[in-house]
Amino acid sequence: MDNSEKGTGLLSVRDLVVKYTSGGDPVHAVNGISFDLAAGKALGLVGETGAGKTTIAKTIMRILPDHAVKAVEGQVSFKGENILQIPESSMRKLRGKNISMIFQDPMTALNPVKTVSDQIAESIGLHQGVNKKRAYEKAVELLKKVGISEDRAKEYPHQFSGGMKQRVVIAIAIACNPELLIADEPTTALDVTIQAQVLELITEIRRDLNTSLILITHDLGVVAEICDSVAVVYAGQIVESGSLEDIFDHPTHPYTQGLFAAVPDMYQDVDRLSPIDGMPPDPMNIPNGCSFRPRCSHAADGCGEGAISMTQVKDGHFCRCCKAEKLGGESSCRL
Amino acid sequence: MLKLRKVVMAMPKQQPERYDKSKKPGSLPYIWKRISRNPGAMIGFSLLCLIIILSFLSPYIMKYDYSAVNMSERGATPSWEHPFGTDELGRDILSRVLYGARYTLGIGVGAVIIAATFGMLIGAISGFFGGKLDTLLMRALDILQSFPGLVLAIAVATALGTGLVHSIIAIGIAFMPIFARLIRANMLSIRGSEFIEAAVVINCSTPRIIRRHMIPNAVSPLIVQISLLIAQAGLTASTLSFLGLGVQEPTPEWGSMIASARSFIRESPHMVFIPGLFIMITVLSLNLLGDAIRDALDPRLKD
Amino acid sequence: MISYIIKRILMMIPIILAVTIIIFTLMNFVPGDPASIAASGESVTEEQLDAIRESMGLNKPFFERLGLYIKNVFLHFDFGNSYTSGTPVGPELLTRFWTTFRIAITGMILMVIIGIPIGIRSAVRANTAEDRISMFLTLIGNSMPLFWLALLLVLLFSLTLKWLPSYGSSSWKHFILPCVCVAFEGMAGIARQSRSSMLEVIRSDYITTARSKGLSEGKVTYGHALPNALIPIITVIGSQFGRLIGGVVVVETVFSIRGLSVYLLNGINTRDYNVVQGCLILIAFLFSVVMLVSDLIYTFVDPRIKARYVKIKKSGDGNAETAA
Repeated sequence: MDNSEKGTGLLSVRDLVVKYTSGGDPVHAVNGISFDLAAGKALGLVGETGAGKTTIAKTIMRILPDHAVKAVEGQVSFKGENILQIPESSMRKLRGKNISMIFQDPMTALNPVKTVSDQIAESIGLHQGVNKKRAYEKAVELLKKVGISEDRAKEYPHQFSGGMKQRVVIAIAIACNPELLIADEPTTALDVTIQAQVLELITEIRRDLNTSLILITHDLGVVAEICDSVAVVYAGQIVESGSLEDIFDHPTHPYTQGLFAAVPDMYQDVDRLSPIDGMPPDPMNIPNGCSFRPRCSHAADGCGEGAISMTQVKDGHFCRCCKAEKLGGESSCRL
Repeated sequence: MLKLRKVVMAMPKQQPERYDKSKKPGSLPYIWKRISRNPGAMIGFSLLCLIIILSFLSPYIMKYDYSAVNMSERGATPSWEHPFGTDELGRDILSRVLYGARYTLGIGVGAVIIAATFGMLIGAISGFFGGKLDTLLMRALDILQSFPGLVLAIAVATALGTGLVHSIIAIGIAFMPIFARLIRANMLSIRGSEFIEAAVVINCSTPRIIRRHMIPNAVSPLIVQISLLIAQAGLTASTLSFLGLGVQEPTPEWGSMIASARSFIRESPHMVFIPGLFIMITVLSLNLLGDAIRDALDPRLKD
Repeated sequence: MISYIIKRILMMIPIILAVTIIIFTLMNFVPGDPASIAASGESVTEEQLDAIRESMGLNKPFFERLGLYIKNVFLHFDFGNSYTSGTPVGPELLTRFWTTFRIAITGMILMVIIGIPIGIRSAVRANTAEDRISMFLTLIGNSMPLFWLALLLVLLFSLTLKWLPSYGSSSWKHFILPCVCVAFEGMAGIARQSRSSMLEVIRSDYITTARSKGLSEGKVTYGHALPNALIPIITVIGSQFGRLIGGVVVVETVFSIRGLSVYLLNGINTRDYNVVQGCLILIAFLFSVVMLVSDLIYTFVDPRIKARYVKIKKSGDGNAETAA
């Protein structure tokens, strides 16, 4: 992923910066994110809560809450066009049709007073211009595809369990065969067995429709199952990116290494877990220099000055650390 | 239990911040800090203080006694001598209006105190014990609430009679169900919440649980309402007096002043206008303050 | 569905009964001798007073009188006779009830069709100048004593501009100011509640979902947010009705309308307790009915609550909730 390339892929994000205001104080949610995504591929955006991942997703879809946003800078190219600049009416044509999103909390993602088939059919009717009856039929087909039987089509969201609600959300997202699907922690709110089913469903859909996927998660196990490439996000920046093998076999950035070290080993008995010491920086108060420095065991004086840029570790594998060459090595991950 | 203690002791101690009381949500310094940023609230608060102070000082600083009748100057329009004019018996309206603040505010506060005390008692008992007692008390409240507020106050005032104290009781009874239901709802939800379970788990005694955990949490949403409810009670008080069922003539309660001025509205509209303006200003101040307190305690409403 | 409605209506009966008992008891212990009131103006001897009391049935024991009253009211709709006029209270109550009812309902409709849009508009344009001004105006409205506003409106429209009559209830023109005033009483509360309800809904996750489908802002606001926001607003309408009735009382007094509240207040002034009892019971009844109706509407409008009370007809698997 060369930063200077325009990117022949489906999606190309360059130097994305997003600032919020919260009660008058600025919040630096995203501080210069760049990545590419080719058609049909899956990118995992990994990071802790508050790292800015959801903000990235919402910025791509341009559904950030207007009242809280102070500034959006940078470029998001979808099929060659910078969708941050296009008028809202054109963006609306893309939303739900070419780019769609699966949200994190299925319990609140559905409108309580509309039936599930209505909510799916709405998307179909909007983008495909079919009449109500046809839209309903297609909605029922989609429900079947995600594993919900037809006679539940006219039921309301509260009558479904969490896992089934998430399936409905997926159905809405894929209703118009989008080229890009953004899944924001789609399985975080679900228990493990349901998680597996939902992930399987997503994989199946990707196979059938050749949809590109951005999977936002903090769960490395999920990433290992589905993604082709990975970008590790910390304090609103990508600190390491590369293919799945690159990241999992040769984690280079101290943060990435810390993440893998924190995963408990199935085969070893330990008294304590090994989390990463300290806390992520307050987005209202990002320190100068490397944002990971306060927690980094390899920190040195050079780490505190100026912005750290990406260093190439290998072909396609990048790391935002001044000690990248020295640290690159075998991982202790047993995933 | 011992193991739990070991684990708690072993956890790394974080350096405590200097104890800044204004950071503690729900405490008075915290509320004050948030309110002082709100210009409307500060205006309301200052106006309120001004009215209260003037009301207390008025017998000493006013030129005319509020009850001094002067038939030769009745119905006079505002002038230097009488900045708000005189009423139908020649009394100086400015003195009357300033003195009268104590009635509207006093009844408002008094009624809310009565409503809060009895309402919270009933609500807390109902919410804590639940079961048949709860059902019984709630049915009783249902009956009370099958009357709209003003009508209930009228009914009670009819039974008790007119006058200051009776007004306070009447309005207090009318507002009581609001407090009762609020406390009860909070109690019910707290009763099942996890931090109560936690308190039980660490062997906390029942009275201590009620005192230190349940009551503070049940009561705090009410604090938000108090200023707003005093405003409502004050309005009801003046309405009651206007209808002739509250404070009677010659006491300069704002509502009854308007009632007596009613027949003179064509010739001397200032007699109707001024007291009402004061009611509005006072109630507005209380509302501004109440809104600001509510916003200060509920961060969700910030945007 | 029907059974739920019937159940709720039946539940209302014991409450009205209890209300009647309480009112009767209350009035019974109020000082004042009905017989002397009936005979007011004329000088009567003690024996004559006694005879009057006997004829009014006042010498019977309390519970007997209570039972008799309840029987009369509920079975025969007989509220007794007015102490002052001697005529039956019932028919008078009915005519006046109709007047009061019309004012209350018109006021409520006005309140809803003006208040809710104001609140919704404010929510959609939250924190803009328009929003702040709107909300400030509602705050002022909430702080104004209604009787004062009514008098000022009379001053303006009747006495100065001479467009509308200032008192009486003979033509529809007489009702404009009263209904507007009554609407005003509840409008501020409805507008504020609409605003906060709408604001809360707009911040919900499912609104983000709706936007992510590519729907226009209009469709998101009015097609998705509004139906959800209206649900809590309906309950508020019900509870605002209490304030509304208080407003009707004030308005009837100020505009000298021949309604229930004036009847009530006159009855109180003349210690005519049969009248007072009748009015209070009827007002309680009206209020309970309105609360019941708004509760029912709320239940049927929200599918989540409806499901609790209405059996869902299902074909296929009987369970409404199955595991994923």
